[in-house]
Amino acid sequence: MALKQVSSNKCFEGFQKVFEHDSAELKCRMKFGIYLPPKAETGKCPVLYWLSGLTCTEQNFITKAGFQQAAAEHGLIVVAPDTSPRGCNIEGEDESWDFGTGAGFYVDATEDPWKTNYRMYSYIKDELPKLINANFPTDPERMSIFGHSMGGHGALILALKNPGKYKSVSAFAPICNPVQCQWGKKALGGYLGPDATKWEAYDATQLVKSYSGSRLDILIDQGKDDQFLSAGQLLPDNFIAACTERKIPVVFRLQQASCFCSPWLGYDHSYFFIASFINDHIKHHAKYLNA
Amino acid sequence: FYHMDLYGSKERFDIFPEELSGRGDRSLGDTRRESALSSEKVQRPQEVGHDLEKEVAELAKMYGLDEDREKELELLEGHLEKVESRWPPARTDKAGSQGSIYNLSKSSSSVKDPSQSTKQQGLPDEASQGDNQSKARADDEAESNIWSRGGLSSGGMSDEWNSQAVSEEEEEEEEEGEEEEEAADVFCSTCKIPIRAFDKLFGEHKDHEVAQLPSAVESEKEEIHKNMCKLEEQIAQMENVASHLEEIFITVEENFGRQEKNFEVHYNDAVQVLAQKYEEQLEALGEEKRQKLEALYEQLVNCGKHLDTCKELTDETQELFLENDKAEFMKVKSFNCQSPFQTLIFPPYNHRLEEFLKKEVDLELSTLPDFEERVIDVSEVEQLMNSINAIPAPCAPVINPQAPNAATGTSLRVCWGLFSDDTVECYQLCYKPASNERHGDEQAEHTLKVKETYCTITDLMPNTQYEFWVSALNVSGISPPSERAVYVTAPSPPTIKSRKIRSCENAALVCWESRDINPVDSYTVELSKLTDEENDDVITESIVGIPNCEVLIHLQPTQQYRVCVRAQNLGGSSERSEPVLIHTTGTRFYLNEDTAHPLLAILDDGFTISCDELENPECDLPVYDNSFTRCIAILGSLIPFPGKHYWEVEVEEDTEYRTGVAFENTPRHGHLGANNSSWCMRHIITPSRHKYEFLHSGMTPDIRITIPPRRIGILLDYENCRLSFFNADIAQHLHTFNSRFQHYVHPCFALETPGILRIHTGIATPPWTAL
Repeated sequence: MALKQVSSNKCFEGFQKVFEHDSAELKCRMKFGIYLPPKAETGKCPVLYWLSGLTCTEQNFITKAGFQQAAAEHGLIVVAPDTSPRGCNIEGEDESWDFGTGAGFYVDATEDPWKTNYRMYSYIKDELPKLINANFPTDPERMSIFGHSMGGHGALILALKNPGKYKSVSAFAPICNPVQCQWGKKALGGYLGPDATKWEAYDATQLVKSYSGSRLDILIDQGKDDQFLSAGQLLPDNFIAACTERKIPVVFRLQQASCFCSPWLGYDHSYFFIASFINDHIKHHAKYLNA
Repeated sequence: FYHMDLYGSKERFDIFPEELSGRGDRSLGDTRRESALSSEKVQRPQEVGHDLEKEVAELAKMYGLDEDREKELELLEGHLEKVESRWPPARTDKAGSQGSIYNLSKSSSSVKDPSQSTKQQGLPDEASQGDNQSKARADDEAESNIWSRGGLSSGGMSDEWNSQAVSEEEEEEEEEGEEEEEAADVFCSTCKIPIRAFDKLFGEHKDHEVAQLPSAVESEKEEIHKNMCKLEEQIAQMENVASHLEEIFITVEENFGRQEKNFEVHYNDAVQVLAQKYEEQLEALGEEKRQKLEALYEQLVNCGKHLDTCKELTDETQELFLENDKAEFMKVKSFNCQSPFQTLIFPPYNHRLEEFLKKEVDLELSTLPDFEERVIDVSEVEQLMNSINAIPAPCAPVINPQAPNAATGTSLRVCWGLFSDDTVECYQLCYKPASNERHGDEQAEHTLKVKETYCTITDLMPNTQYEFWVSALNVSGISPPSERAVYVTAPSPPTIKSRKIRSCENAALVCWESRDINPVDSYTVELSKLTDEENDDVITESIVGIPNCEVLIHLQPTQQYRVCVRAQNLGGSSERSEPVLIHTTGTRFYLNEDTAHPLLAILDDGFTISCDELENPECDLPVYDNSFTRCIAILGSLIPFPGKHYWEVEVEEDTEYRTGVAFENTPRHGHLGANNSSWCMRHIITPSRHKYEFLHSGMTPDIRITIPPRRIGILLDYENCRLSFFNADIAQHLHTFNSRFQHYVHPCFALETPGILRIHTGIATPPWTAL
């Protein structure tokens, strides 16, 4: 599991680096971005995993979100993996932007031809943390997870399926109820087969209903003028309703322009929206990781 | 000098005591003999002064001699076991007292009658020589002429006697020495001498009690040791007495000076008055004399005139008588007035004569040689004379201004002094409450008599000005009163408004009210940090000079302090107020009832607000200037101190409320959060869900919260310019306002449906509120 440094850039007294490695889980070469705060030079730091959304690589978050300053301030190592295996030469993997490459959906595929490589759930859950803990000054006991859109879905299910593994979880415009939306139906059906009951194991809203375990504090930000919100891809209300019923603490913030005079200029689904609230999320995680 | 003769004359000395007992008849002879003995004696009166000095010197010498004697005695006793002190302690004491008398008389001798002083000096000697003699002498005192001599010679005599005593003892010593040579081996207790055992058996000591010589020696030594101790004590005593006497010397000098001055003044007055009287009387007398003389002179002149007339008539008659011509004689005689010519030429002689004889000659003295009785009026002088012995009435004392800390709330210590060294028996201190009002006379004056130059007056009113003045009194009268001094009593202890204490981790705002009507100068706050180990009252800090009834105290976090307040004025500081405890754990505020909407009630704990109904006919409700009129709200009073403040609000799930912070002047007619002077979280129940708004200027972010908080944590962080809301039960962050508060804010609470809100203060800021 040799790591190869692809790039390293000084950033807010720490380093933003990209490594690549051979993934046993995914059976391909994988890249990930990692921000090492200045504190990592002297001591062990908690790790915050970021899961990106559809079509993204490890680059989007590290170049667009502007999280490094807050991460440096709070002494968090932030790991941003890729969103799917790449170059596996599976038929149809590059056919659409919402399935296959760049759309791993953080599930362990059970259907052919995907089941060999598309094991993003296990990669994020086990392989990547092991790799990170083995190569960087981390505190393995302290890790959290967050993500955007499909990554938000990934973060939620990873947290909900592994009570206690993550100290905290948050999401930007997550796909909250994939079994009910187009993206979800397509991806889950593709990776897991047509039996919709199997999909529920990767549906945050469904998982919440049966969640029991250590307390989670979930922070969700949602742009009000997100086109995928209005398109019914994200369905946060379902998730909130489930959490309300299950008494799972969630703060859901429907972010809009704070000025009445420009109602059409709300936050959308882009990284500009993410960058606007990334500090709140870093703080949210830091609160639990540094507690 | 004669008294030297006397001193040397053994013969005179021998005779003298007999003479004294032989009384007056012989003393006359004695006097004669004396005058024969010494020619200088004639000059005696001139020599008295000198005489006295010598006497004094001699007596002092004798006193010294007595001291020497003591030492001698010690020596003797050291050597001799047998010899008992012939000068028992009483004697030594007497010598001491004699000494004091000598000193006294010596200092006063210059002004006293010589014979008297001699008498005084004589007396102690008499005392030592026996009562009989002294009595005899006392009888003879009248003949002072002899007396001075008697005293003198008695001095000498005593000296002689002393020396005789010494020689006696020496003799005894010798005797004893002889006895010791004969190797005595037992001690006869009866005779107090060592004897040979042989004597016990056969000698005169046959029937006496005896002891072995060594043991007898031991017991005697012990005895001697005791005596020595006694003597040492006496020496110490004597030394004390001597130093005391020195003091008395000085005092006597001072008293003399004062008295002398007093006499001088008064006698001068008296002399002046006498001189004046004399002048007056003399003048009156002279005037009387002049009048008398004038009257007499007039009478004399009249007398002369009369005499002249008489002589004239006599001459005429004579002439007539010698007239030879008988006819003419008769004519003149009988027809004196017949001829007009004659009447013209000759005066009608007969007529004149008749008239002259008719006129009575006034031979009464017009004035008496005696002068009228003039009473010499010495009453005024007498009065003056009487006042000489009396001390003058004292001058007005000087009252001191109030000394710091000489007052309590109910008492004052007033001090004054005397300018002169007048004799004062006591002082009369008067006081009354000072008042600026015209009709302040109603204020009762109090008067009390004081022996000292200070007085502590009790039962006064706190923080009140009193006027004091003082007069000095003695037998001669009362001095004029001193200036009036205004003293002020210390204030009453203030009362800390314990319910109005606001505090946070680093400071406390304490306010109190004065219990006095009059304003005080300042307040002092004393605080002591309470430790777990001991609850002692060590004042760790005092804040002085606080002009208002409020102070902001900087404190350390998570401690307990006990705070007291004292009020301060010119008179001093009051007692401590009832202490209050301040905990610097978390922030503590209180609800400002003045701001409460009329429908909002504060329960007894002071931190639970309730609202039973939303509507009420408005006319029923008393509305205060400062209270909310639309929103059923109330403001808390938070300490105006930067840093972090945290508190919690316990809410019912079905209660609609608003809570947050607001500027003190937030509009009372609007809703909290609807304006830019308030920030608050609002809970609304919609048919579908609990809705939470975080309002400022009427705007809220769209935030969905899955768990309705039961306990809302509110963190106000001035430094980081934020106001955060939490679900305190699960440490969930709900929302943060980022605002740079331009002024200090206060907690605000409002109920929008009937229900209650419980406010919790004094909670340490939880760590999960960080960031």
